[in-house]
Amino acid sequence: MGENVVGRSVRRPDLVEKVTGAAQYCVDVTMPGMAHAKVVRSDRAHARITGIDVAEALAGPGVVAVVTADDIASLHARFGHIIADHWILATGKVRYYGEPVAVVVAETVAAAADAVELVRVSYEDLPAVMDVDAALADGAPLVHEQSYEATGDESFKNLSHVDEETAEPALTNLAHEVTLGWGDVDAAFAESAAVVENTVHFPMLYAYAMEPYNAVASYHEGALSVVSTAQHPYMVRDDLARVFGLPLARVRVTSPYLGGGYGSKSYTKVEPLASVASWVTGRPVKLTLSVEEAIYTTRVDSARIHVKSGFAADGTILARDFDIVMDSGAYADNSPLVMAKAVNRCFGPYRVPNLRVRGRSVYTNTAPASSYRGFGAPQGNLAGETNLDRAAERLGISGADIRRRNLVRKGEEILPGKRGIDADIPADLEMVVESLERDRKDVPYYGIGFGCSASDAGAYPISTAQVRIQIDGSVLVLSGSTEMGQGSRSLLAQVAAEELGVDLSVVTVVQSDTSVTPYERTTGASRTTTLVGLALQRACADARARLRDMAAELFECAPGEVRDLPGAVAGPDGRELSFGAVVRQWFGGSAGEVTGVGLLRRDGATQKMPPFWEVGMVGVAVEIDPETGVVAVDQLVTVADVGFAINPRAVEGQDLGAATQGLGGALYEELVYDGAQLANANVVDYRVPRMKDLPRKIDLMIAERRDGVGPYGAKGAGEGTLNPIGGAVAAAVARAVGRWPDRLPLTPERVWRLMSSD
Amino acid sequence: MTLPPFALLRPTTLDDALRELSEDSVPYCGGTELLLAMRAGLHRPAALVDLKRIRELSGVRVEDGVLVIGATERHADLAAHPVVRERLPVFARMEKHIGNARVRTQGSIGGNLCFAEPKSDVATVLMALEASVTLAGPGGRRTVPVEEFVAGPYYAEKEPDELLVDVRVPLRDGLRGAYVKFQTMERPTVGVAVLADDAAGWYRLGVGAVGEVPLAWSFGSLGEIDADEVAGWVDPTPDLSGSEEYKRHVTAVYVRRALARLEQVSA
Ligand SMILES: Cc1cc2nc3c(=O)[nH]c(=O)nc-3n(C[C@H](O)[C@H](O)[C@H](O)COP(=O)(O)OP(=O)(O)OC[C@H]3O[C@@H](n4cnc5c(N)ncnc54)[C@H](O)[C@@H]3O)c2cc1C
Repeated sequence: MGENVVGRSVRRPDLVEKVTGAAQYCVDVTMPGMAHAKVVRSDRAHARITGIDVAEALAGPGVVAVVTADDIASLHARFGHIIADHWILATGKVRYYGEPVAVVVAETVAAAADAVELVRVSYEDLPAVMDVDAALADGAPLVHEQSYEATGDESFKNLSHVDEETAEPALTNLAHEVTLGWGDVDAAFAESAAVVENTVHFPMLYAYAMEPYNAVASYHEGALSVVSTAQHPYMVRDDLARVFGLPLARVRVTSPYLGGGYGSKSYTKVEPLASVASWVTGRPVKLTLSVEEAIYTTRVDSARIHVKSGFAADGTILARDFDIVMDSGAYADNSPLVMAKAVNRCFGPYRVPNLRVRGRSVYTNTAPASSYRGFGAPQGNLAGETNLDRAAERLGISGADIRRRNLVRKGEEILPGKRGIDADIPADLEMVVESLERDRKDVPYYGIGFGCSASDAGAYPISTAQVRIQIDGSVLVLSGSTEMGQGSRSLLAQVAAEELGVDLSVVTVVQSDTSVTPYERTTGASRTTTLVGLALQRACADARARLRDMAAELFECAPGEVRDLPGAVAGPDGRELSFGAVVRQWFGGSAGEVTGVGLLRRDGATQKMPPFWEVGMVGVAVEIDPETGVVAVDQLVTVADVGFAINPRAVEGQDLGAATQGLGGALYEELVYDGAQLANANVVDYRVPRMKDLPRKIDLMIAERRDGVGPYGAKGAGEGTLNPIGGAVAAAVARAVGRWPDRLPLTPERVWRLMSSD
Repeated sequence: MTLPPFALLRPTTLDDALRELSEDSVPYCGGTELLLAMRAGLHRPAALVDLKRIRELSGVRVEDGVLVIGATERHADLAAHPVVRERLPVFARMEKHIGNARVRTQGSIGGNLCFAEPKSDVATVLMALEASVTLAGPGGRRTVPVEEFVAGPYYAEKEPDELLVDVRVPLRDGLRGAYVKFQTMERPTVGVAVLADDAAGWYRLGVGAVGEVPLAWSFGSLGEIDADEVAGWVDPTPDLSGSEEYKRHVTAVYVRRALARLEQVSA
């Protein structure tokens, strides 16, 4: 279509500074007069706090203050954007090992760390519920003895199917329940030629962003300024404003470069701790967590999913029934949304005439779980896809054929009333299968597996962007969206350069400062390209319209007579003026600038929810060492169904990264509780993929059909490729060893046991 | 965690170093284990005595048919050392595959043995080689076989005021050796060394990382080594890399693999 700047793998502007270590991250940020905080954490799973003796700690050298729940009782000392159940500091009792009980503020990190050891917290142990079965048992001890007001997050209501009437009035450990369904599932099962049932277990994971959570906060004269590792600075701002009862405009949250997020940095984390410490001490306070503390701050929901599907003899799906139970830990955080998404995403992009899904997010006395790349899809998809593969085996048809028979075609709805599928998933499937089969090895203990997913992506379509045209024609792009390694900074620059017809080198993107950059709801759900991209296109169009109006005054013609040129405008008489010249001449003093504003809401092309479907389409081939059970990945094949790749290399990077992260959860990663605490809350024992684990063959394909609502027909990428990896690996292993696994990760011992079982 | 404060002493002679040592003033070489332990709050010495500037503790040489390796020699240097590669290739190859690049370029052979981390490659191979260590203390020097020195998990047979000076490996002409390890996490699950001096009828098997300490045995021939029987002799520590049963099983697998590898090694 004749684009110049988009569609090219331009080099990221942040590449060199990140590789050389010059890039500034939150941990590099200091504030004048800053003190340092360390957190006193619970050393038990569930206990009543009977006293906190801070005297000795306060007497320690360099100690400024020890902040406990009592000190902040006058604040709204809880946060949580869906259920405001998350106490900033444990109040009355602790609900998990690692929960913040107090914050020590001192002149140095070392002094704070020393004083942490001197804070004496006395407890009275309470019976703990360490897993979902214990938490759901009759008469189980309650993690929360009170219910909390809902925050009325609009997008959440819109995206999930909360049945207000069935919301449980009695107090239980059920944090949240979501149901979805249509048709008559039981009648369909009765008519099915085959009914296939199985249970899968998705492990408790850690998102493993390289940079642990950290923040520096300054509360001064009724205004709060926070620099943090937040993926969604605006969401954090809203939570902080609620805590301190401040107007939104008096809370400023800035996110410099993030050292990875993968969902784990969405929503509020350490910002309230640093902020209340500053509020109490009157000094800026910096708080940097260790990896272990970060693991105890947010983990991934583990899940147990029972799935039952009925099929006609030819493999046509007649009905599906899912029961999902997630261990969400001590606080809800974003788990209700993760659950809502798991419910939407578990049954796959298939025609399912009769459906019943029940999802329960359960409180336990474990570290709180929240968003993770894929939002419930990795959990749900594992259940849906392995069930389909088992059904194919039972019915004597191939894994490809059962999918070919049931996949939705472009435009078909998988959620009634929602946007129809904006992708050609059957064509994507053929690409994957063809690539896998082409390089299939003929050796024993070899298996291939593949899987599909479609996620209602983009979150809620509220986005704003600004472009500021300078007198020399250079361009500032302002966006509240966060650069967290995914490359949004170069992507947004490409879109602006394309729209304005200027060189990429004159475009600078400024992001993520709630007092400077315009509102952006979130950076998640693979939304930036599509939604910020659209807002930015509108901002560029707005800037162009203003420039045409100004040029019309200069040319003394009607605005309609001014034509757009790359980086310039032309009058009816052929006179051309560059953008810079328009601004200079209109203001008349070689100064000034023109701002274009782009606003996006649920309207027009983005009226129908979700804004787009993110397709996940992957295949793997594995080779197993039958003596040890070690699984080697021989092939990894992915298709990025992105409509249009604005930066193809960035798309490939997202897909390889997401798939590799998926392989981590499928083969190696799992947080393991041993009693009250985790046995592997560190980077040595929590085993993530390494270079040596990379598949022998990696085939990252991009399908560009210009079928997205985003700029140039683009759709988002980033999560999709992770979602079906677990199911694909499980199927590949099953085909290699002849037995179906029921849980991830498929560690060597698990595979060996699978092979040795009768 | 940040490191707690400590004094750093940097003696240049062995005698100076020995004078500095006490319960509260401990040897420090690469720091790969020591500093982690200090960070984790497990250890809080007042002073660290850096050994890296002490000439007497470094170097590799052959002395009367014995390969003498200075305590402060680092894994990466030993893996690349021409004398080690020529006279003891099985040891050089083992050193090449220890841990990760940072550990190899920083960690020392002496630190490895003194820390006595059960999941070690070094002690397993050294025990199989019938190596010994030289210790120096206020009362003079003594020689201890590695099999006695690495006495328990995180426990080396050494007084706080003693330093490990060197490691001594008796060399054998025509020695064949193989070391294989099964590793799925950061450290080995099991490591197996098999050594054969056919002319002398000397055969040794070392198995480490799987239990609390490495173990080594002598045999009259390779045929006497029964992998399943060996698996019964080890006492695996169950952990996140495997249960006792699984570790016993992979021990047998890796004893077989080591023997198969040895077959391909010519003298
Ligand atoms: C992530 C990681 C992975 C690893 N993987 C492996 C592996 O796969 N295989 C393997 O074999 N090892 C492995 N190691 C261990 C590694 O080999 C040792 O950490 C290293 O060799 C220790 O040497 P150092 O010089 O760093 O010891 P330091 O940390 O400096 O010291 C360790 C201990 O020994 C004492 N000490 C040091 N030198 C002397 C001396 N000359 N005399 C008396 N006492 C002394 C110190 O006081 C301290 O108690 C790993 C370590 C890490 C951290």
